[in-house]
Amino acid sequence: MTTLDTLELRETRDPYEPAVARLIETEPLTELERLFVFEPSDGQALGHRPGQFVQVWIPGVGEAPISICSSPTRGRTFELCVRRVGEVTSHLHRLTAGEEIGVRGPLGNGFDMTVMQGGNVLVIAGGLGLAPARSVIEYVLDERARFDEFHVLYGARSPAELLFRHDLIRWRHRAAIHLLVTVDRPDEQWRGRSGVVTKLFADLPRLNPERTCAVVIGPPVMFKFVVVELLARGIPQDRIFCSLERRMRCGIGKCGHCQINADYVCVDGPVFTYERMRELPEAVT
Amino acid sequence: MSARILNRGELLRLIDEAACDRRLIGPMRRGEHAFYEAANRAAELDLEGPPCVYSPKNHFFPPEETLLTFERKSRSFVTRTVRHETSTALVAVRPCEVHGIRLLDHVFGAAPSDEGYLARRRATFIIALDCFRPCRDEAFCGDLGTNTAHLGFDLMIRRLSDAEDEPRGAERFELTSATEDGASLLSRTRLGRAADRDDLDAARAYDHRKAAAFPRRLACEADDLPDVAQRGYASDIWERTAARCYSCGSCNLACPTCYCFNLRDEVSLDGKSGARVREWDGCQLREFALVAGGHNFRAAPAERLRHRVMRKASWIAQRTGLPGCVGCGRCDRVCTAKISLVEILNTLAREQDHDHAGHT
Repeated sequence: MTTLDTLELRETRDPYEPAVARLIETEPLTELERLFVFEPSDGQALGHRPGQFVQVWIPGVGEAPISICSSPTRGRTFELCVRRVGEVTSHLHRLTAGEEIGVRGPLGNGFDMTVMQGGNVLVIAGGLGLAPARSVIEYVLDERARFDEFHVLYGARSPAELLFRHDLIRWRHRAAIHLLVTVDRPDEQWRGRSGVVTKLFADLPRLNPERTCAVVIGPPVMFKFVVVELLARGIPQDRIFCSLERRMRCGIGKCGHCQINADYVCVDGPVFTYERMRELPEAVT
Repeated sequence: MSARILNRGELLRLIDEAACDRRLIGPMRRGEHAFYEAANRAAELDLEGPPCVYSPKNHFFPPEETLLTFERKSRSFVTRTVRHETSTALVAVRPCEVHGIRLLDHVFGAAPSDEGYLARRRATFIIALDCFRPCRDEAFCGDLGTNTAHLGFDLMIRRLSDAEDEPRGAERFELTSATEDGASLLSRTRLGRAADRDDLDAARAYDHRKAAAFPRRLACEADDLPDVAQRGYASDIWERTAARCYSCGSCNLACPTCYCFNLRDEVSLDGKSGARVREWDGCQLREFALVAGGHNFRAAPAERLRHRVMRKASWIAQRTGLPGCVGCGRCDRVCTAKISLVEILNTLAREQDHDHAGHT
């Protein structure tokens, strides 16, 4: 237990003081989402885990928690996929290369990739969930020898809302990864699968459940349906990893905004095993 | 260091000594209420009156404060962290409030530590004042054991004489220290005298009197409180009670253990500079669990009420090992809809007793 008497006086960076990152390049992904490549101005890589997030700060506007969508295996830069939904994200969308922003993090627990080593990895991503999922996907591809079978299921609402099209095309043609994509609402040009993401389970080969870890990232409504499929395939509850979204403010387990039941999403999460999520009734409601 | 016994005049001199190089904050009477406010001398403080309406947490954790300032350049910016370290002597802090401060110390001290809070906290000398009877009907500190504190202050005042049986001016105040700073003030000022045998008897009598003075208010054991709350998660009490909740957040404002906050930016008129500001927030307010995109994770007042009660009765204790509710009754007192925390807990405990009886 920490009491003031036992706390050392130490000189640390103030936890609310952001580091500086410079925008290297940016490109539109859809009508609402853009990809941003940043480099920390001190030249040091973030040193993040797949699934962690940063608090992005636009001075004078505010902060927004954004998942890191690139793998730590990709050098000094880090990438953010940002949907334009509020003030901070709208300002981000207007940034041009060379401009600087504030960044706090990496924050949160992220995925423990060592737990997944040696076995199969099954990623299920819905909507914007592909952004954090991409940090896992790139990581597994870069460290491919350490994992066995690798399957990715991705569902978007419509073809126009598919994220990371260049990546999807590259991944489709690699033997190292088995990718299945579906859209809820196909248009006339769409040649791929349609329907919700859980329909893709029918096209999965049989996986040894004891040797498989599942990564689930998507909108709250997706979780319960996906988890039902995973449990039906015998994947143990403590090998189903879900990443949750909450209104995170401080990002360091103090301000209370992201609390679900006894847990703080910003420090205890955003990644929770399904085993833990069952103890948190508010987790996906 | 052993206790010292001071009379009223000596106690006031001791407080003035503690405040000679610090600002003095203590209970100041405003009509029938008291508030922790600045005073010039100890004699201005109301040491006999009711506990303050608000806990003294705002002296370490102000309702609004600047964390850092920034200046925008054309394509970048610079920031500067702001520290407030005014030395303060905080006087007549009640045991429940001491427990509240200990929780805040734990939360803000946990890594990564909130250096701004800790700087203020380290610059504060706390003189606590023990309670020898409950201050209000809504209080259940006696059940929780938070009506007594052994840590989390520099000096503790206990008024060994009964208020009724000793004339003003002849009272005996026992001063004990919990820190080196407290002990050194006592030994440096050499006020009063060392406690003698008669004082020790009086202290024992005080303990007995105090133990009998706090009636039971809680319908379950304090240790069972987390389980009672947890088992009540699916109860319909949240719906029933929240039907009259205004979601005003008054309970959050008054609570010694509420520490939730918001961060926001303020910008100068020319847009070139500004500040990052922290302000109190409250889980009972509708926007508290709203995420970007519009989804509210606790849109219904019943969900928010349950969140607050669970947090106080169970979750904070689970996380920190410290009481999440100190039983002070402030939330009941300030509630605009007369919602009572202790009544909710007692109703849950009784419902569960009843259910249990029904099954056997």
